[in-house]
Amino acid sequence: MTRYIIRRILWFIPVLLAIMAVTFFLAKVMPGGPFDFAGEKQLPESVRQNLMRRYGLDAPGYVQFARWLWNALKGDLGPSYYYKGRSVNEVLAQTFPISAQLGFLSLALGLLIGIPMGVLAALKQNTIWDYGSTFIAILGVSIPNLVLGPLLIWVFALKLGWLPTARWAVNYTELIWGILPPPDKLRPFFTHAILPTVTLGTGLSASIARLTRASLLQVIREDYIRTARAKGLPERTIIVVHALKNSLIPVVTVLGPMFAGVVTGSLIVEQIFAIPGMGKFFVASVTNRDYPVILGTTLVYSILLVVANLFVDIVYAWLDPRIRYE
Amino acid sequence: MTYKRWFAVVAVLVIASFILAACPQPTPQVVEKVVTKEVEKVVTKEVEKVVTKEVEKIVTKEVEKVVVATPTPVPGEEKVTLDINLGTEPPTADPALATDTTSVTVIEQLFLGLTDLAEEDMSPIPELATKWETPDGGQTWIFYMRDDVPWVRYNPATGEVEVETDADGNPRMVNAHDVVYGVKRTLDPRTASDYAYVLYIIKGGEAVNTADPAEADIDALLAEVGVEALDDYTVKFTLEYPAAYFPQIASMWVARPQPQWVIESKGDRWIEPGFIVTNGPYVMTEWVHEDHMVFERNPHWPDWDKVEGNIERIYAVMVTEASTSFAMYENNELDTAGVPLDQMDRVKSDPVLSKELVIQPIGCTYYYGFTTTKAPVDNPLVRRALSAAIDRKTLVEEVTKGGQIPANTFAPKMIFGSPAGDPEIAPWALPEDMGGWGYDKAVAEAQKWMAEAGYPDGEGLDILLMHNVSEGHAKIAQAIQAMWQTAFPKATFTIETQEWKVYLKTIGKKTPLEDMPHVWRLGWCLDYPDENNWVHEVFNPEQGANRPRMSFDDPYVGDKIKEFSETTIAAARTQDPEERKALYKKAEKLLVDDIAAIAPIYYYTRVTVTKPWLQRRWHDTPHFETWVIDWEAKKAARGM
Repeated sequence: MTRYIIRRILWFIPVLLAIMAVTFFLAKVMPGGPFDFAGEKQLPESVRQNLMRRYGLDAPGYVQFARWLWNALKGDLGPSYYYKGRSVNEVLAQTFPISAQLGFLSLALGLLIGIPMGVLAALKQNTIWDYGSTFIAILGVSIPNLVLGPLLIWVFALKLGWLPTARWAVNYTELIWGILPPPDKLRPFFTHAILPTVTLGTGLSASIARLTRASLLQVIREDYIRTARAKGLPERTIIVVHALKNSLIPVVTVLGPMFAGVVTGSLIVEQIFAIPGMGKFFVASVTNRDYPVILGTTLVYSILLVVANLFVDIVYAWLDPRIRYE
Repeated sequence: MTYKRWFAVVAVLVIASFILAACPQPTPQVVEKVVTKEVEKVVTKEVEKVVTKEVEKIVTKEVEKVVVATPTPVPGEEKVTLDINLGTEPPTADPALATDTTSVTVIEQLFLGLTDLAEEDMSPIPELATKWETPDGGQTWIFYMRDDVPWVRYNPATGEVEVETDADGNPRMVNAHDVVYGVKRTLDPRTASDYAYVLYIIKGGEAVNTADPAEADIDALLAEVGVEALDDYTVKFTLEYPAAYFPQIASMWVARPQPQWVIESKGDRWIEPGFIVTNGPYVMTEWVHEDHMVFERNPHWPDWDKVEGNIERIYAVMVTEASTSFAMYENNELDTAGVPLDQMDRVKSDPVLSKELVIQPIGCTYYYGFTTTKAPVDNPLVRRALSAAIDRKTLVEEVTKGGQIPANTFAPKMIFGSPAGDPEIAPWALPEDMGGWGYDKAVAEAQKWMAEAGYPDGEGLDILLMHNVSEGHAKIAQAIQAMWQTAFPKATFTIETQEWKVYLKTIGKKTPLEDMPHVWRLGWCLDYPDENNWVHEVFNPEQGANRPRMSFDDPYVGDKIKEFSETTIAAARTQDPEERKALYKKAEKLLVDDIAAIAPIYYYTRVTVTKPWLQRRWHDTPHFETWVIDWEAKKAARGM
């Protein structure tokens, strides 16, 4: 197992390198550059040249990539072209923890609601419980965050006045260990977090519930469940120890990419609730042709994705003893 | 049995979330207290750590930490606070580098210009300069500056605004040398300023900005630039050619004085709170990226007794989503906010909100351009017919809904020299109540012009209209497509969209003619309020951007295009304001009516709601030092 993990980690290097090279290439072949326009105004060629020179974009593409790579290995992801005077390192350090906080909370909520709901639906198949949970899940999946977010703000902040309208209660200058909210701000932290977490978490819980249901339905028809029943195990033990554990494999499979996606921020939810996370940079950096930010955000996402997938594979072996990595 | 357990868990969670949800929101004062404690703790820790290390390191470490964690003011010391939404993170606060309105709004509070623009008509008025003169009819400009404005820095450790001092301990006053430095820094190609080109009018400006630092001696070229300090408080500009509008250019952010000693010692980071040295009515005390900025009154700004404003602190959030910003306004979290399009009908009918609504014209125009060398829109009759067949009144009332104004010229009314609304120009674009033909007559004439051009009822006409991807642009394009289709039933009108940067490249000058759309959407906003920035810089066939590709060889209107070019060049060099206005009227008529190179559609407006306790003003860039808050009323409304 250890050897397997080490081998997988070594594989990260070429995988990440390939992702970054392809991203760099794609960013470069997009028509238009970072300094062609200020707003709708076309900049004179001379001004564009000054800017290209200042940021080293007058060098050939492979030189630019090599420079970026070399600096990245030293831990420097370069300057943002759009936010003058800010480095990509700063942008990521300031925005990623906020997105991660929201992501963790939403994923936790998704699991806490999704798994019980899926189990309930599977065990009570074709009853009102099943239909009810299916209905809620479909509702959760099909109501876009763009609609749910403003709706929640309208109800809970404007009409009832129970919760704050928007914004995140802590900012990057106050974080503990670079990620946790300070203990004396926990209360505002959670009151501000409730609406965005529910907005993002309901969609996640819905897909988790559907997967859990489908998978559990399959597992409880397996021979080994019948064996367990035949030898007289209590129903609770059968479900929790034998059925549920095995049925979680598809759920865990989607959790990897879901985790990477959700902790790097959701553009829509962050925008609706004015949360200073990194979600917006995935889109804004492309719109602005801000190459170092495109590469920086992609790098963070890719690292999270490969690491999450490794965890998923390790968890497989624990969930299903038939899976062996050697 | 198990599912009962699960059900219990879910139930507990649901109940718990209700309990949490029911917790009342803590009052803002409590939040502020918490912030202060935390920040102080962090700073002290850091200093303690440092003390155990080398002595030399103390200073730098302390400063770096301070920049990140700025203490908020002591609670209890209550300040009259304005809550606004900047709308987005400003890309910079550096006057030499700013290009967007958010950055310019921030810079306007922090840095004074030689001139300012008047609230009513945007004419240049004194700011740092008390008076100015041109001894030779516009080629040379001399600005006489006041000597009582100090450079200041906010000290995060003490929370005080301190006057900067020089090596001898004397206060540093904003002087002519700071202006010279600011202008030269903007023009220096190593600064790489996007907006340096607006200063190309200064002698030697273009030469240095277009030079390659690897080959040319930049410092020698900078020394040649036509800006010099005649004495400590008199600055002289020498221009490439006479320009009556130079006092407007002198108000722009790129021409503002900049603190050389700070920029040279701090580099790119000089714009961060704690480092930044400014001279405007407010200082920046906090800049939490993507979240908020805080500005506080600069007590050393000398003109506080001359303005009626009473705002001591500005808390500016960066909420991009218009509906969220509007919700915060409704919840009394913002004193003024923009109105999202989908809320317009509600705001107009709501008895409270409708009183808080103000629609104000701003210096921007929405227009469709024609590729004048591409058939069939190479024929000016076709272009004019298409332009006249746009029902601008219906468009602004039913589609854009923001109180926009139908446009018959390129530049809006507030721009010096603009004949906007004058029915002698393109009367077919104006509704009857604005003195124009009205749509029925306009479309009847348009059909005649189209027939005269050889396309009766639009037969044989195949037009491609392109715009960048945006819901708003799409609605407008579809409405105009329908208007055209009704006016010219046998023609084909196609709409295509592209992503913003791709689109800008497509409609650029380098695109081969066959790939150009016939009609394309664009907008223009002022850099400085003079027609020169509009008809000349955007459309002059020789010196401007000229996206419509107008050419003197045009078989239909080549002579008119030549006349247009000569008119905008002559207008820039004319001194007499009335004479200039007459020239620009001629130029606008040529551009929009005779040549019909563009179809101006509407002038933009700013749609805002403002709380009754805020008395705001309407400078093109907000001047918060002139705004007044009824603080007791605001506190009462917020339950403070």
